[in-house]
Amino acid sequence: MAVVLIRLKFALMRHSFTGMRVLGLALILLGTGLTWYFAVSAANDEVRSELLCLAFAVWAASWALGPTIANGTGVLRSQYFSLLPLDRRRVGALLLATMFVDIGPALTLVAAAALVWHGAAFSVAAALVAVPAVLALWISVIALSRLVFRALGAAMLSRLGVEIASVQWGLIMALLFFGWMAVQPALAATLALRANGLGEGTTGAVLAALPTSWPVHAVTATAAGAWGPALGWLAASILLASVLVVVTSALLAPRVTARGMRRRRRPLGARPLSRPARSLLPDTPLGAVIGKELRQWWRDPWRGLEVRASLWAGLFIGLLTWSSDLYSSFAPFAGVTCAFMMALSTANMYGHDGTALWLTVVGQRPDTARADVRGRQIAILALGVPGALALSALFVGLTGAHWAWPYVLTGLFAVFGAGAGLSLLLSVVALSPGVDPRSRVDANDSGDNQVQVWLSLAALPLLCVPTVLAAVFLGMAGTPWAALPVGVANGLLVALWLGWIAQRRLAGRLPETFTRIRYGKEIALQAVPERGSLLDRLERTAITGNGETRPTGS
Amino acid sequence: MPALELDGLTKTFNETRAADGVSLSVPRGSMLGLVGPNGAGKTTSLSMTVGLLRPDSGTARVLGVDVWSDPVAAKRLLGVLPDGLSLPERLTGGELLTYWGGLRGLGRDLVRERARELLRVLELDEADDKGVLVAEYSTGMRKKIGLATALLHAPRVLVLDEPYEAVDPVSARVLTAILRRFTDGGGTVIISSHVMALVEQLADRVAIIARGRVLADGSLEEVRGSDVTLEDTFVRLVGAREVGEGELAWLSS
Ligand SMILES: Nc1ncnc2c1ncn2[C@@H]1O[C@H](COP(=O)(O)OP(=O)(O)O)[C@@H](O)[C@H]1O
Ligand SMILES: [Mg+2]
Repeated sequence: MAVVLIRLKFALMRHSFTGMRVLGLALILLGTGLTWYFAVSAANDEVRSELLCLAFAVWAASWALGPTIANGTGVLRSQYFSLLPLDRRRVGALLLATMFVDIGPALTLVAAAALVWHGAAFSVAAALVAVPAVLALWISVIALSRLVFRALGAAMLSRLGVEIASVQWGLIMALLFFGWMAVQPALAATLALRANGLGEGTTGAVLAALPTSWPVHAVTATAAGAWGPALGWLAASILLASVLVVVTSALLAPRVTARGMRRRRRPLGARPLSRPARSLLPDTPLGAVIGKELRQWWRDPWRGLEVRASLWAGLFIGLLTWSSDLYSSFAPFAGVTCAFMMALSTANMYGHDGTALWLTVVGQRPDTARADVRGRQIAILALGVPGALALSALFVGLTGAHWAWPYVLTGLFAVFGAGAGLSLLLSVVALSPGVDPRSRVDANDSGDNQVQVWLSLAALPLLCVPTVLAAVFLGMAGTPWAALPVGVANGLLVALWLGWIAQRRLAGRLPETFTRIRYGKEIALQAVPERGSLLDRLERTAITGNGETRPTGS
Repeated sequence: MPALELDGLTKTFNETRAADGVSLSVPRGSMLGLVGPNGAGKTTSLSMTVGLLRPDSGTARVLGVDVWSDPVAAKRLLGVLPDGLSLPERLTGGELLTYWGGLRGLGRDLVRERARELLRVLELDEADDKGVLVAEYSTGMRKKIGLATALLHAPRVLVLDEPYEAVDPVSARVLTAILRRFTDGGGTVIISSHVMALVEQLADRVAIIARGRVLADGSLEEVRGSDVTLEDTFVRLVGAREVGEGELAWLSS
């Protein structure tokens, strides 16, 4: 059975070999090289043991967060097997077993084997103890990786879970953006590490206590002839691996309960039709779209994750910059950064909706595409602006940098406006469907949007150039408030302009847009001319560049 | 003029001809059952009929209006229930109908009145009172709320893909009654199904489709000819694999 699953996994992977996987493998290769480099070049035994503790902790952290960042859906999804007459727990265990058969885990085992080298430096006995220790470490790390990924998926079933996942994502995004503040000192420290080790400090103590360091302790204790502690550390490592394997197999077992959030109350804003109507929105297609979008953003865990993660990222970036000496003047702009993140995370709205787009296609009227695009713009602004304003007020208040207000408000207008234009344009043109909404489980199921993210990272600052120039020059001239109208005009114009392009594109290609979601990459490509307009080329890039996280049945 | 006309609809996915010159015509006030095995091309043909999938060639006309050259006018006349697609999953049934009516520009009061009646008739009103989201609906409930969206704007022609799948027997009777009332009032229906008995009992016209081609088309009597049941006709046309004497002997151990 395990062999069948492993073969199935390789078969599925052949169909989804993307750039992300290549990058991931390159990183793992680099990590393996570095681990052995540390092990071989360490100045003495003590330094080597410390370096190995550090390396193993980094390995565990990377495996825990990597799959989430890499935006991949689990290759073998447990629902595929929910109908097999097999014990659910057995399926879970088998699925976990397939995780170990891959290049990444194999390289990780090679890296972990550096511990055997460490043992051999002392004695044959130490090297022998290192072998089971390495295996326990390896199993723990790989099982942990699946555990975190699935826990995040399970989290999508409750509001608190979504919040936890959002915090995690927000932190990852903040580190990706402003992590370079920490990189330079860390790099300098690494070079010194080889010679000196971690020295006496809390870092060393914390590191020594981590479970990933237990196998190292086992080897070190053996070398010192302390057989009691050595066996103790080894037993602890093996116990940890066993616990992780048991818990993870249980989590990987196919779920048979009902889908959707667990919930006791009526969702916020839901009034049964049997009660009198009450609505502030206009009785038009535009009003209908705004109402639907606000509810979907508020209630859908996958959409909620996007918005909340942006808010948390803004908060973390604010805190990071505030606490650093060099960059603290950036702290008041946490709200603007948050607006920027929101633009990135709303750039795949039609991908989020999946095949539900059929309603818009079948209900098409002359103004349907316009209402759909404008309604979505209004809804994301209504949701994003209050949070970004609150963040701005918080950090301007904390830092006492009231001089920043004109720049912050100008920036908010420009980024929110340009973002609302760009995210709609990309949502239409660079649409990337994920697992269809009916069958979503994991946090990454809503579709790969790396093309949108990279494009936004480049395009959004460009679209805000007029505002930046105005703020710089008017600021130097001592009249920063004069930049505000420029920011407002910049935002408004870009929102209207790009929204207009998006709506025309959508109106002209409603069935093609639906086909893209419903029938997959290859058939979608047939509907986009090879040497077409700029938008056509952008669409081809997005179709080929984004990973495909299907399947939806026929 | 037929109420619904499929005219040479053709679509090729990669190498497979999913629909190969599918032509059908459904007179006003009648109900046509489109039957065929899984993968015959029913969903593909119906998707091209309602404007969801652009045909490689051919077109469809609703009461004379071409779906692909005048989509807005044609879509106003059409009510559609697709198979296996998502909905705005985080809305309640009532909210979904309110959104859908608003998007179609029907006017809030009219939408409320019709939506409430539809939910009551389809027995979805209790779920709506409780605030159950579409994501939490069962497959049968999804079919029913889908049918409500198809009916809300009082269309002239209904195109329903597998409407009876996973619907419980009681709801199926309600569905049949709704469709009968609709055709009695001059409406036209095309439904797809792979259950012959159902179509035989329900529809007055039948089309048999397999491997993307229409093999027979006409009134139930015409298509059935001298066969006793529609299933016999189907087997005669599509061909059935007989189970030989020695095959699967291990089953009777
Ligand atoms: N996304 C797709 N990609 C490639 N082929 C498809 C796709 N969807 C359907 N097909 C093919 O089209 C044919 C007709 O499918 P369909 O219209 O769904 O059949 P039915 O509804 O009668 O069961 C099948 O052979 C199927 O394999
Ligand atoms: Mg079908």
